Amino acid sequence: MIRPRTVKTLLILAAAVAAWELIVRLGLISAIILAAPSDIALAAAKDGFVFARALATTLFEIGTAILIAWTLGVGLGILLGSSHAWAAAAAPVLSSLFAIPLIIIYPLLMAWLGIGALSKIVFGVLSGFFPIALNTIDGVRAVEQRYIVFARSVGATPLQTHARIIFPLALPAIVSGLRVGTGLVVIGVVVTEMLASLGGVGFLISYHRTLFDTGHVYFGMLLALLVAVGVNLALTRLDRRVGSWREQGEG
Amino acid sequence: MRAALLGYVIFAVILLGGWELIARLDLVDPELLPPFSQVCAILWQFMHDPRFTADLGVTAGEVGVAFLIAAPLAVTSGFLLGERLLLAQTFNPVVHFILAVPQSIFLPVFILAFGIGFLEKVLFGITHAYFVILVNSFAAVRSIPHPLIAVAHVFGATPAQIYTRIYLPAMLPLVLTGLRIGMVLCIIAVARVFGATPAQIYTRIYLPAMLPLVLTGLRIGMVLCIIGVLLAEMYASRSGIGRRIFGWGESAQIPELLAGIMLVSILTIAVNETMRLAELHVGRFYRRTSIA
Amino acid sequence: MPIIEVTSLAKDFRTGGAVVHALADVSFSVEEGRFVTLVGPSGCGKSTLLQILAGLISATRGEVRIAGEPIRAPMPDKIGMVFQDPTLLPWKTALANVEFPLDLRGIDRATRRKRCSDLLKLVGLGEFADNYPHELSGGMRQRVAIARGLAPDPRLMLMDEPFAALDEQTRTRMGHDLLEIWEKTRKTVFFITHSLTEAIYLSETVLVMSARPGRILDTIPIEFPRPRELDLIGTERFGRIRNRIWHLIADTPK
Repeated sequence: MIRPRTVKTLLILAAAVAAWELIVRLGLISAIILAAPSDIALAAAKDGFVFARALATTLFEIGTAILIAWTLGVGLGILLGSSHAWAAAAAPVLSSLFAIPLIIIYPLLMAWLGIGALSKIVFGVLSGFFPIALNTIDGVRAVEQRYIVFARSVGATPLQTHARIIFPLALPAIVSGLRVGTGLVVIGVVVTEMLASLGGVGFLISYHRTLFDTGHVYFGMLLALLVAVGVNLALTRLDRRVGSWREQGEG
Repeated sequence: MRAALLGYVIFAVILLGGWELIARLDLVDPELLPPFSQVCAILWQFMHDPRFTADLGVTAGEVGVAFLIAAPLAVTSGFLLGERLLLAQTFNPVVHFILAVPQSIFLPVFILAFGIGFLEKVLFGITHAYFVILVNSFAAVRSIPHPLIAVAHVFGATPAQIYTRIYLPAMLPLVLTGLRIGMVLCIIAVARVFGATPAQIYTRIYLPAMLPLVLTGLRIGMVLCIIGVLLAEMYASRSGIGRRIFGWGESAQIPELLAGIMLVSILTIAVNETMRLAELHVGRFYRRTSIA
Repeated sequence: MPIIEVTSLAKDFRTGGAVVHALADVSFSVEEGRFVTLVGPSGCGKSTLLQILAGLISATRGEVRIAGEPIRAPMPDKIGMVFQDPTLLPWKTALANVEFPLDLRGIDRATRRKRCSDLLKLVGLGEFADNYPHELSGGMRQRVAIARGLAPDPRLMLMDEPFAALDEQTRTRMGHDLLEIWEKTRKTVFFITHSLTEAIYLSETVLVMSARPGRILDTIPIEFPRPRELDLIGTERFGRIRNRIWHLIADTPK
């Protein structure tokens, strides 16, 4: 049963797409600047397979970078957060380093690692690492002392305390960091692909830009946006689910 | 505070000391990692090279102009949207969508549409800074309880006596439902009894509450602006420090590359920390001099 | 053999440059199966004493023996604790919270489940086994905490002002219900409070502690028969004991 509201939204979308097509066809905006929906569809039809392969490369780079960034960020965050001394010393350094425009380091990665998948993955990891680590440190440090005392009073080992009490308590903050960090990983990979790459969606976008194939450029961008938005949505859902009991708290 | 300082020192020692050691001990190919001292020497040379400093100036100029345009625009529109809830409700989803979407991805289209020159890079920087500053300024205004915004308008429009005799009693029911709202309104009432003018109340109670958020927004906006400008330069420009660094990357001129990265890092950290200090000091200053 | 033996206990804290004497020359003993309360003004070191008894912090001087053994670290199998804050794990149900200490020890699920369901029924929360802490009231959460403290079947229960955060009515009811639980389980209970009424109503021995540095001013036997109903609190005899303790604390020079 399709709800009337969904129908309404779909109709509005269809109207928007039609208007978009008209604006370009009528020459109100140059077809070089704004690709008409039909141009995008053409590009998809013509080179869909090429783009699909590029998308696979990009997704592989993103996926690998996410795995590494999550592990390093959360792991280091828990380690640093568990010690007052280290956390107090590390957090300001990390947050200051965060101000460095990471993109400026990419040429170094290019020189060291070439322009293949490896430099993208490393850059992706660097992009995501800081917010994940910082948020994890915050989350761990925010765990109230009473839980630690409780853990000791029931005889929990340090491992049990970290895994079964501290980690779940810090989880909302950690997931929040994962959300921000993962978004940055995606952007990092796509942008570096655009700058200098052998493959991937970003590469195709740049390549077609130089040829003024606006339809292809927009198609590539659409794919990149879909990935970014998709990842963001998935993590927002996770964030909300994890945060549900945090909001309500306990005694 | 001391721990933070120690952290910086330890980090610097580990990073720079380790770097120098690794390079000097030939643990890594010196082509790949020249010693820190060598990089410093190159950087020193650069600072005396007019072409280099010219490029640096171009980048700094682009960032500066972009920020100087974006900041006031964003702050004012943020305040306007914050005060007119109806407008905000229309624009809110649009702004949030734009924020959720990574703007850097639009660079190729941007260049297709506008080309790449000084103004175009400035524009790109503006788009990066604008929305963040807008959202923070908006949040800053919204953080003040709604009835007080109405009060502010009334302050500007009507004589104070009308306010105390008509509006305050009318708003009391709203006040009673929110302890914080009530407390601040109490403060305002007390302030009025002591003869504070509307302007003083606006600057001493509202502004301190809003300023931290606005300043944070400005700082983040600046960081994003720098990223945007550098990215645009690296991608398709002929001038600017970003272009230079990318060029060195393409030709694997690593000592120069490291020098450039070091310089940009130092400068951006300096800008960020300065703005952060300003945030702290303004916050403290207002807290000391305001009634709230 | 007394289950708690404290001899000449003293505890000093070093903060910054100064030394704080929290406890000075505390000595007492508690026989097994008794309900004993410790009462004293705020900041007198009651909680510090309890933490030493629990093995969470160490003593500066003196000796503490629990069940004959000197205590240096927590003994989760012998000692159960209930804090002022229930400190339940928010993502676990009431039953899962009660099971947690046993889960840590690797006790199998069937045994855990049975024992902990029974404990929840004992504290009056049999129907709330699958509820989460945020769905329970403050008093109910504290009951879960009590059930959790009983889960490892300890010989000694240490309770640090467990009802202090509750409103007066709930607090009084909880005290009454706690006595019922105690009658059924007959654990040794060492209960700390700053409420004289609570101290006298609950226990058969009240240890009265002085202000900091804390030491035991007197040990007051409470000879009311059990089970005790709440209207005992309003009787004249109760009031006289209460007065006596109050003066004992108030009139002692610091």
